[in-house]
Amino acid sequence: MSTILQAHNVEKYYGNKNNLTKALNGISFNVDSGEYVGVMGASGSGKTTLLNCVSTIDTVTSGKILIGGVDITAMGEKALSKFRRESLGFIFQDFNLLDTLTAFENIALALTIMKTPPQKILSAVNEVANVLEITDVLSKYPYQMSGGQRQRVASARAIVTNPSLILADEPTGALDSKSARLLLESFQRLIAERKATILMVTHDAFSASYCTRIMFIRDGRLFHQLVRGRDTRKQFFDKIMEVVSLLGGDGSDVA
Amino acid sequence: MTSLNIAVQNVKKSFKDYTIYFLTLTFGVCIFYIFNSIESQQAVMDLTSRQSMALSTLSQMLGIVSIFISCILAFLIIYANGFLIKRRKKEFGVYMTLGMRKGRISRILMYETVLVGILSLIMGLMLGVFLSQGMAMVTAKLINADIKSFSFVFSAQAAKNAVIYFGLTFILVLIFNIITIRRQRLIDLIYADRKNERFKAPHLKLSIVVFLIALALILLAYFIVTHSGVFPTGPVLSAAVCMGVAGTFLFFFSLSGFFLKLLQQNKNVYLSKLNMFVLRQINSKINTTYISIGFVCLMLFVAICTLSSGIGLAEAIKNEMISNAPYSATFSMYAVRDINEEAGGASGNAGGAAQAVSGEAAPSYYQGLNIVNALASNGVDLTDFSDEYLEVRYYDAGTRFRFNTGDIPFDLNTQYVKLSDYNKLREMQALPPIELAADEFTVNCRMGNEWPEHTLEYITENPTLSLNGILLRSNVSMFASIPLITSENWDFAATIVVNDALLDGVPVSKDVLNLNYTLDNDTYNSMCESALKEFDFSAFLPNFNDIKFTGNMETRFDIIGRSNEATTMIAYLAVYLGMIFLIASATVLAITQLSETSDNVRRYGLLRKLGVDDKMINSALFSQILIYFGAPLALALVHSFVGIIVAGNIVGVVGDMSILGSSLFTAGVLALIYGGYFLSTYWGSKNILYKEYMNQQG
Repeated sequence: MSTILQAHNVEKYYGNKNNLTKALNGISFNVDSGEYVGVMGASGSGKTTLLNCVSTIDTVTSGKILIGGVDITAMGEKALSKFRRESLGFIFQDFNLLDTLTAFENIALALTIMKTPPQKILSAVNEVANVLEITDVLSKYPYQMSGGQRQRVASARAIVTNPSLILADEPTGALDSKSARLLLESFQRLIAERKATILMVTHDAFSASYCTRIMFIRDGRLFHQLVRGRDTRKQFFDKIMEVVSLLGGDGSDVA
Repeated sequence: MTSLNIAVQNVKKSFKDYTIYFLTLTFGVCIFYIFNSIESQQAVMDLTSRQSMALSTLSQMLGIVSIFISCILAFLIIYANGFLIKRRKKEFGVYMTLGMRKGRISRILMYETVLVGILSLIMGLMLGVFLSQGMAMVTAKLINADIKSFSFVFSAQAAKNAVIYFGLTFILVLIFNIITIRRQRLIDLIYADRKNERFKAPHLKLSIVVFLIALALILLAYFIVTHSGVFPTGPVLSAAVCMGVAGTFLFFFSLSGFFLKLLQQNKNVYLSKLNMFVLRQINSKINTTYISIGFVCLMLFVAICTLSSGIGLAEAIKNEMISNAPYSATFSMYAVRDINEEAGGASGNAGGAAQAVSGEAAPSYYQGLNIVNALASNGVDLTDFSDEYLEVRYYDAGTRFRFNTGDIPFDLNTQYVKLSDYNKLREMQALPPIELAADEFTVNCRMGNEWPEHTLEYITENPTLSLNGILLRSNVSMFASIPLITSENWDFAATIVVNDALLDGVPVSKDVLNLNYTLDNDTYNSMCESALKEFDFSAFLPNFNDIKFTGNMETRFDIIGRSNEATTMIAYLAVYLGMIFLIASATVLAITQLSETSDNVRRYGLLRKLGVDDKMINSALFSQILIYFGAPLALALVHSFVGIIVAGNIVGVVGDMSILGSSLFTAGVLALIYGGYFLSTYWGSKNILYKEYMNQQG
């Protein structure tokens, strides 16, 4: 398996000399093609900063991030835009669909901004819609869909361009448990059927239990890693919960 | 920090938000001042009493129009202010959460309003004072007055009026703001930016139907106004206007939906870059914006029509008036009967289909009169000021041309002149003489646009007439329509030209003296006026009990002067109104767009996250705003085209209207003001998007 994402000693500082916040403090890791990696950590641990840096929305202070062998920290604004639309797919907590566009158009938008030939767009959109089971809502507007449907449309938008890496920021955060399960299962299908690679930030152990590997972050460093291996999801979930409590996640920071 | 400090900070900070507000105020004050300072501009001009009276009338009219204009500007300022308040609700929410009382917020807002108001008032007045210096030159040139010596003119009256009118408007704005703040609840203010207009799915099929109805209404309105005769009147015109207005609103209601549906069929266009996003952007707001866009279109229509046809009309009137003044002066005698009944009206000769009928000849009041001799016997020598003059007698043999075109037969009053007189008149206009055989007649008719044609047709179809028992043939090739006197009004008749001998013994019905000055200047004009105007002819006329004689003198000098004044008046009114309407429409559009941009921040921000580069985003924003500015302008231009054709028909009665020059002027003004607003809206929106995106990035 080839390595999709390599992070070398990435640092991200905020503030000035006197009052420095080290959001990322020399973090290094690799993500291989076809992996479903979860990033967990408490609020303020740096997981969102990490995602922003990897997604090129934010810049790093030092260190290198290579995606598909390309160093994104050395790119200019224009190249970054191009890289973002061609090599990355985004799934946000609040879906971030354009309310004025239908589901079909929202998905197609990811292709039109890449100047994909129009005749290819129709088949590409239908193909991902099939995988994500949203064919029947394609002509609807976001406000006419359920939260789960919206997030699957957003996922379809992220995957339709065949990006090297899909970045998901708390994708189940705004969903009820049933929709969340449906979404997470469709992520697994995306990996199986379309050879997608997903990096997902979450603080929810249940969502994380669908991943193949979990990276735990604390104070801007890689604190621990869990690989699912041959574990059942239940076993993996229990392991995650142990680390979460050790890490001092949500509500367990009492001691 | 005092409230004043906060206010100053706020104005500095949100200067870009204030741009459109500031621009509108400044332009408004500037134009207001310029047109109200015309009275004072007289100071630098050398004016005759008539010119200064004309300028006073003009400035009075502009003063009355200014009241109407200041109402429009007041509405605009309040509208623009409303946009600013809406944009800043969140900020006020933060003040209130921090414990600031509503009273204090109102005070901050008051200071801000006053600050921006005073700034723009000063800017506008300065610009106005500066530009009005040039305006004085233009005015002087238009009314043919000389500039005495250049001196700087400041009109205290105009400045005072501007301060009063705009001061009142600011007070209205203040009251409006205080009420707005007082009625706000904190929760609404804090969540103001999340309360987006709820998006509703458009009914695209409905759009197509509505669009077709709109087009049908507009085309029908066009058809009615262009096909209902010269003066569309009363109910017909109202119906057409209603249809046009309704059609315009429906057009904008359905336009975006129609195009969306149309372009969706063409995948190559629709699925290319951000095209569908831009179309959806426009379509998403059309439910709320079509009314303001419709108004903008109608205002633009009014602006374009007044600017282009107003100036065109003025030019047409001027040319027509001057073309009616072929001689330096014309002195004529009129006999007016006390019972106001001129001889020779419609004689009820039934059955007389198009042919010369014989009416009652006018009594010959002038038979014994000879103006030149009368003057000479009292020591007036015409050659003192005139090198060319001719006393022309008109003869009435009772000949009438009867037209059966309308419902009621119409008899055109016709008088005769001698061929020798006619040729001399032509010579005075540097025209070649005509020749007529002994038994021929021809006609000179100058009366509006249509009558010469009708008359020519008439003498072609009725080639003979009888004069004193002699049958005359018409010579159609010699027909002409030159002016025979200098007069502001048309020579309301057809004049038959025959060989001199034929008029022996025919009663004289009119006596006219045409003169050309030795030199066409003011000195000779005054000499001529003093010689003729006060001359008492009653001693030289036969005595009639019921008849009064009136001498009437018209000079080319007067006519040119009056035409210049009329032109100036119409042109100034047109430009004043046109400019204000233009600014009003551009402001409304700019504000609609800017207030939408705040809502669009999220959408454009998302596009950026998806990897759309700045170039594509800017071009999408540009197209969006271009469509918003372009669509109403395009329809307004088409409306205006039809409107100007109709106006041209109406004006055609007065004279030929050439609108090329004024169209170019209008295009220039449009490009400057409308284009200026368009660009500042684009830059403003781009700035808001960029700033908000940066804010979100932390």
